[in-house]
Amino acid sequence: MNKPLIAGISAIRQGRQLCRICERHSSINDNQECCPYCGSPISPRIKNSQQKTWALLFTAFIFIFPANLYPITYLLKNGTRYPDTIFSGIVSLLSSGMSGIAFIVFIASIVVPILKIVVLAFISLAVHFKWQFNPKKQLIAFTLVDWIGRWSVLDLFVISIMVAVFDKGNFLSVYPGIAATSFTVVVITTLFAAQSFDTRLIWDANTDAR
Amino acid sequence: MVSQQPNIPKGYVAKCARCNHVFCKSITSKPNKIFALALAALLVCIPAFLFPLVSIHLLGITEQTNLLQGAIMMIDIAPVVSFVVLFCAVVAPTLLTICIVFSSACMMFKKRPWLLNYVLKLTSIIIHWSMLEVYLVSFMVAVFKLTSYAELYFNSGLYFLVGFLILNMTMISEYDNAQNWKYLLNE
Repeated sequence: MNKPLIAGISAIRQGRQLCRICERHSSINDNQECCPYCGSPISPRIKNSQQKTWALLFTAFIFIFPANLYPITYLLKNGTRYPDTIFSGIVSLLSSGMSGIAFIVFIASIVVPILKIVVLAFISLAVHFKWQFNPKKQLIAFTLVDWIGRWSVLDLFVISIMVAVFDKGNFLSVYPGIAATSFTVVVITTLFAAQSFDTRLIWDANTDAR
Repeated sequence: MVSQQPNIPKGYVAKCARCNHVFCKSITSKPNKIFALALAALLVCIPAFLFPLVSIHLLGITEQTNLLQGAIMMIDIAPVVSFVVLFCAVVAPTLLTICIVFSSACMMFKKRPWLLNYVLKLTSIIIHWSMLEVYLVSFMVAVFKLTSYAELYFNSGLYFLVGFLILNMTMISEYDNAQNWKYLLNE
């Protein structure tokens, strides 16, 4: 028989856990591996959440350098290759008078991945060292970077459209460079890092937070 | 933190005091409405992916391109990029639509097949990876870039893609995973 839960106290302190798939709660002691309702793996907090987040953030941090330093696309024009990095692409957009598009690409391709790594690293450090920052503000920052993180895929979609459009062999064609793969790794690892981070840890670390 | 489920008036939602996550809605969407939306989206997605999005007049030749073309062309040079583009723009939205057609049909026809458990699990995972809206913004960015190189003409695929995006987003906003699990668990 399940004891009725008391509102205002965390479930883990009442011996209960929430399944992230079916959103049903169950006893921690009786169900240590699987959710009794849907059969998904269950634990009071995401297992090794901090470790997974750090591993993914380190991967993203390593790959962000080749993503920004190496050419993301090559323009092949009359047999000559013209490499373009993320930054040089933004500069050429600015010089062609497309400042709005340059701004969108700058935000999606440079600001968002760096911001995501910095914010997630900061929150993870705050959780690890139990820094007593406002948990609600930390959650807002997390939600914001989690939501805008998906917009980094924009650059990959643009590359795929450009590759399809400029396909005239040696006369005129576009193909992705080594930075495209590095950038993809950055985008995917930061998306997974956000998913593997358990936001409830923020409140666990703040001893006097409500 | 545990929250008490309140009796909320029509049109209101209950949110967690800590994280603002909506945990209770007063209005639940009818399964037949979600089924209609998802089925329409499934029908529209075929021309959206296969019909040409844009025609480009370059070096005296006019060529058409669709959503799949660019990703498939990159498979040899950049397989990781190609996989992510295909997954986020094609596979995830289509799979999500198929899952929602299946789960809403089960609710509508009052069936509880064993597969529904797996479909609901897949839905809750794949919903984060459907990035059609990002693709459409990327398409607009690419169009602005391309206008300085060549003449562009929009084709029927683009209208189907916009239709698919609208149906997809309406379907996602109406879809309630908790409601489906309640149905499956017979609560």
